Amino acid sequence: MSAKRFLSGDEAFAEGVRLARPQVVSAYPITPQTVVVERLSEMVEAGDLAAEYVHVESEHSALSCAIGASATGARTFTATSSQGLLYMAECLTYASGGRFPIVMMNANRSTALPWNIYGDQRDSLALLDHGWIQVYAENNQEALDLALMAYAVAEDERVQTPVMVNLDGFALTHTYETVEVPSPEQADAFLPPYQTKNRFDFEHPTNIGFSAGPEYNRYFKYQEHQDLLNAPAVIEEVEQRFAQVFGRRYPGLVEAVQCEDADYVLVTLGSAAGLVRTVVESLRAQGLRVGLLRVRYLRPLPTVALAAALGNAKAVAVLEKDVSFGAEGTVFTNVNSALQQAGVRVPTYDFIGGLGGDDIMPVQVEAIFRTLVRSVSEGAEVPRVSFLGIDDTPGDAASAASPKDLVSDACRDVKEAN
Amino acid sequence: MREVIWHGRGGQGAFTAARLLGAAASLAEGRFVLAFPSFGPERRGAPIRAFTKMDDAPIGDRSASAQADFVVYLDDTLLDEDWQRELKPGGSVLVNSARAYDDPRIVSVDADGLSSAVLGRPIPNTAFLGALAALDDRASLADVHEAVRLYMPEKLHAKNLVIIDAVYAQFDPARGGTAAEGDPACAGLVAGDPAGAAVAAEGDLARAGVAGARSQDASGEGALPVGPYPAAKPRPVSRAAGVRIPTLRSGSLDPDYARTTCFEAGYLVAKNAGWRSLRPVIDAAACTGCLQCYLYCPDGAIFKASAADMAAPPASSQAPATRAPRAATPAQAVFVDYDFCKGCGICVKACRFGALFLVSERQEQRETSEVAE
Amino acid sequence: MPLNAKTIADDEFFFGHKACAGCGASLVVRTCLKVLGPKAVCALPAGCMSAVGFNFPQLCFANNSMITPFAATASVLTGIEAGLRAQGKKPEDCTVVGFAGDGATADIGLAALSGAIDRNDDILYVCYDNEAYMNTGIQKSSLTPFGAKTTTTPAGKNARGCLTQKKNLFEIVAAHGIPYAATASIGYLPDFMRKVERAGALHGTRYLHVIAPCPTGWGCAVDETIDVAKEIVDCGLWYLAEYEGPQTLAEQAAAGEPAAQGEQATKGAPAIQPDAASGGRFTLNRNPREFSSVEAYLRRQGRFKQLADEDVAAITAARDAKWAAMRRDWA
Repeated sequence: MSAKRFLSGDEAFAEGVRLARPQVVSAYPITPQTVVVERLSEMVEAGDLAAEYVHVESEHSALSCAIGASATGARTFTATSSQGLLYMAECLTYASGGRFPIVMMNANRSTALPWNIYGDQRDSLALLDHGWIQVYAENNQEALDLALMAYAVAEDERVQTPVMVNLDGFALTHTYETVEVPSPEQADAFLPPYQTKNRFDFEHPTNIGFSAGPEYNRYFKYQEHQDLLNAPAVIEEVEQRFAQVFGRRYPGLVEAVQCEDADYVLVTLGSAAGLVRTVVESLRAQGLRVGLLRVRYLRPLPTVALAAALGNAKAVAVLEKDVSFGAEGTVFTNVNSALQQAGVRVPTYDFIGGLGGDDIMPVQVEAIFRTLVRSVSEGAEVPRVSFLGIDDTPGDAASAASPKDLVSDACRDVKEAN
Repeated sequence: MREVIWHGRGGQGAFTAARLLGAAASLAEGRFVLAFPSFGPERRGAPIRAFTKMDDAPIGDRSASAQADFVVYLDDTLLDEDWQRELKPGGSVLVNSARAYDDPRIVSVDADGLSSAVLGRPIPNTAFLGALAALDDRASLADVHEAVRLYMPEKLHAKNLVIIDAVYAQFDPARGGTAAEGDPACAGLVAGDPAGAAVAAEGDLARAGVAGARSQDASGEGALPVGPYPAAKPRPVSRAAGVRIPTLRSGSLDPDYARTTCFEAGYLVAKNAGWRSLRPVIDAAACTGCLQCYLYCPDGAIFKASAADMAAPPASSQAPATRAPRAATPAQAVFVDYDFCKGCGICVKACRFGALFLVSERQEQRETSEVAE
Repeated sequence: MPLNAKTIADDEFFFGHKACAGCGASLVVRTCLKVLGPKAVCALPAGCMSAVGFNFPQLCFANNSMITPFAATASVLTGIEAGLRAQGKKPEDCTVVGFAGDGATADIGLAALSGAIDRNDDILYVCYDNEAYMNTGIQKSSLTPFGAKTTTTPAGKNARGCLTQKKNLFEIVAAHGIPYAATASIGYLPDFMRKVERAGALHGTRYLHVIAPCPTGWGCAVDETIDVAKEIVDCGLWYLAEYEGPQTLAEQAAAGEPAAQGEQATKGAPAIQPDAASGGRFTLNRNPREFSSVEAYLRRQGRFKQLADEDVAAITAARDAKWAAMRRDWA
C-alpha cells in the first residue's frame, strides 16, 4: 500500500526513481539537484535500490555513462541542473539520436552570469530542441508520479526517446509537502522491466551510434520527429494505466483549468501554475471569467491542445521564467506557433518573471489578468513582452493598488466589455 | 554555367586543381566561380571528387554537380563504365592516360608521364589545368599562370608552369592541337630533380597521394620489389569457414533501420579495392608461411589459407618463376583479399623472404577489360 | 602458448574500414580485437577510428561496438560495463574496451579517464597515439612531440613546429595506482599482443598506450608505418614498459606468480616490492644497450624536416635524461 510522507521535491523524485528500479544511476551533484543523488546513494547503500551507482566526475560523464548503460539494455537514471545541464548538452543529442530512453531529472535553475543558484527555467528551455521529451511538474506528488510515468513513455517502442522531468529549483526541489509514496508492488504492476532491441547482443552483435551521411541522415531525423509526434497518444495511454493502478489521473500534455468559458487565459508551466490556480479560483469566485492553461509537456509541443483550450479566449497571457534574449520568452514563441497553426486569432502577451528565483506574487498574477481585460475592454496598449517587476504594466500598477481594487477594476472592465 | 567534375584519389590534388581552375576563371571581371571538394569520411587513397562551377552570374546552388562539361580523371582506374552519366551533352572526359580511347569524347592526357619527367614523380593534377586552358574559354592560359603564382607555394611555380604550358601547347587549337591526336610526349622537358620532388597538392608531403608517398623515388632506390603482372590468375580462395569477420551484403535495407542507431554489426556494402593503384602479389614458391604479412596488415586483407587451400597444390605459381623454388616449399600459407586490400605495401616490407611484390593495378584492369571484350 | 601470428585468432573484428592506406591506428584496433575475441564490447569517441569504421551502412566492427561523445570514451565504457553487470549479462570473457586517439585521451577526455581509474571501473582503455589530431587534419595535441610540424604548429620563420613536450600520460595514469598500464608500439606487435592479453585477463581499470604512426600526418611513406613504429622504440624516443598497481601486485603475490616480463623477471626475485609512490611497480620491457640514431628517426619524417641540429641535440638529450631516470627507477 502507498504511504503518506512529508517530502521535498528532490526526495519525492528520488522515491519515484527507487520505485522505477533503474539498473544504473550516474550523477554528479549540483544545487538544487544534490538531494536526489544523496537519497539515491542512501537507497543503494541500504539495499532499497539494486542499482549500480556510478560516481562520475562531471555531468558530461553522467549522461555519457547513462548512454553506455542504456546501450546494454539497462534502465538508467541521471539528474542535473542549470550549468550541469549545459555542460552535458552535447550528450543530450547522443541520447536522443541514439533513441536511448534515459530519464533525467532537471532541477530548473538560472544560468550564469551573474551566477545564481535559484530557480528559473532558462536551463531546460535553452535545450528544448535537443530531441528530448520535456515535462514540467507542478508539485511534489506529480514529480514522484512523473518519475514512473517518464520511464513508461520513454521506453514505449513507439516513442524510444529520453525524457527530461523538470522540477522548479527550490520551489519544488526544496519545498516539503505531503506526498503519497506508492508501494513497490504497485509500481511494479505499472512499470514492467525495460525490453529493447536497441542494445548490444552477444548472440547477434550490433554496432550502435554510427555516423550517417547526407543520403541517410534525414531518414533518422524524420523517424525521430515522427516518434515524438507519437508520444502524445502514448502519454495518454500511460496516464490511463497510471490512474488504474494508483488512482491519480493526469490530464495529458496540458491541463486546462476553467478554460472552457474563459475570456482571459493565462498560460504557464511548472510550480507557477499552483499560484495561478489559486488566483483563478479567487477571481472566478468574484465572477471574472478567467482560466489557467498549464503546459505539462513542452516537447512534444501540444499544438492541438493549446489551440483548443485558447480558441475561445479574448486575450491570452503567457507567464514564464525564461527569455530568449533579443526575441521573447521561448514558451510564448511556442504558444503563438500552435495558435497560428490552428488558425486561432487571439491577442497574446508575454510576461517574464521569476528570473533567478525572484518570487512571483499573487498580486502580479491578478494584475496580468487585469491587463488582459483592459487590453480588450479599453483597447489599452500592452507591450508584447513585459518583465514582471520592471515594466509599468503590470508591476507598478499592481504594487500601487490593493488586490481588492484590482479585482473590482477587473470586474467592472468585464461588465463594460459585455 | 560551365561545370567541371574532378575525380582523383585522396592526396592526388584533385581539389587543388579544382581550386586553381576556379581561381583562374575568377580573375576576369564579372565572373562567378565556386570550387569545392566532396566531403566524406574516406581517407588518403580513397576515390574522391571535386567540383569547379563557373558562370557569369552569382551561383546560388552549392551542391555537387550531377553532370559537367568536363569530367577529369586524375587516375584512369577510376574511369568506369558509367562515365557517360556525369557528362553533359557535348562534354568531354579528360583522363590521365598514355593510351588512346575509342570514344572520341574521351581525351587522354599523359599527366603521369609528364609530371614524372618534370617533378620526378607522378603528380598529375596541374597538367589538366593546361588542357582546360586550351579546351575551355573560361580560364585563359595567362589566368592559369596567375592562379598558380597566387595560390601555390612559390617553390612549386616553375615546374608546374612547365607542365601546364606543355599540355596547353598540345591542345591549343591555334596550333592545330586536338585531343584525339595529341602526342603525349614531352620532348624538350628537363627531367626533374628527384630529391626536390614537388608536390602539386598542398605542397606538403603529408598530403601526397598513396603512389607518391610510397617509399620509392624516381631513382628507384629503396623501392619495393615491383614485378610484372603474373600470367596466371590467382585461384579463388576464401577464408576458413566460421571465421568471424564483417562481410559484404547485398539487397536493400530494412526500412525500419532509421528507428534507432542500432544495426547489425559487421555489415559492409562497399569494397575498398578502388583505393589501390598497386596490388601485392604472393610468390607461392618463395612463401615460407611465416605470416608476418598477415600479422602487420592494417586492413586484415591478408588471410591465412584454410586447411583445404593448404592441401591444394600451389597450382601454377602466381608469380613468374624468377626464383628457384625452395627446397621443401610449403603450400602457400596466405592469400590477399583483393576486395579490401588498399595496396599500402606494408606486407611487402614485412616479408623477409621476397615472397611478396607489387604490380600495377592499371595493368590488371587492362587485362580484365581485354578479357571482357 | 604465447600469442603470435600463428596462434592469434583468424577472426577479423575490424575490417572493411575507410582508414588511410598504411594506417597505424587501424592495426592497433585490429590486433587488439583479435586478441580480446568476440565478446569484447568497444566504445570509440569521435576520431579517426570511429570516422572510418562506422559509416552507416558500412559498419566495420564484427563485435558489439558503439560511438561516444569526444570527451566521453571512459565514461561510456563505465556505463557499458555497469549496464552489463547490473543485468547479469556480462560474459566471463567479455572485455569492455575503448579505443581513443591521443587528443581524445590526453586532452578532452583526460578527466573522464581519470574518473574511471579513480573508480577502478572494470574497463580496458587503449590510447592509439599518432601524436596529433589526425581526424581533423593534423593539429597539435598534448601528445604531439617537441619539434613536430602540425597545421596548428606550423614551421615558419619564428617557430619550428610544436614548442611543447609530449605529455607523460603513461606515468600520469600510473600515478593513480591503476591495476595495470603499459606502453607499446605497433612496431613491436608481439609485445603489444602480450600486453593486450595480460590486460584482458586482469580486472579493474587497465590502460594501454600504443604508438601508432600516421603516414599522412607524420610525412612518411604508407609502407613505412611499421618501420617508423619500430624505430621510435629503437632510438629511445618511446619505450616499452609496464606498470602494475597495488591491486595487481597483491593478486600476484597471493597467487605466487612472477612479476611482469622484464629484465628483472629473469632474476627471479620472489617477493614483489612496489617501486613507485603509488604502491605499484614499473617494469622496463626493453632496455637496449645502444640506441639507434634519433636524427635518422626524425629526418625520415616530413613533420620534423625543419628541425635544426640543435633541436635534434635537445631531443636527444631529453631522451637520455628520461632513460637515465627509467633505468634508475624501473630497471
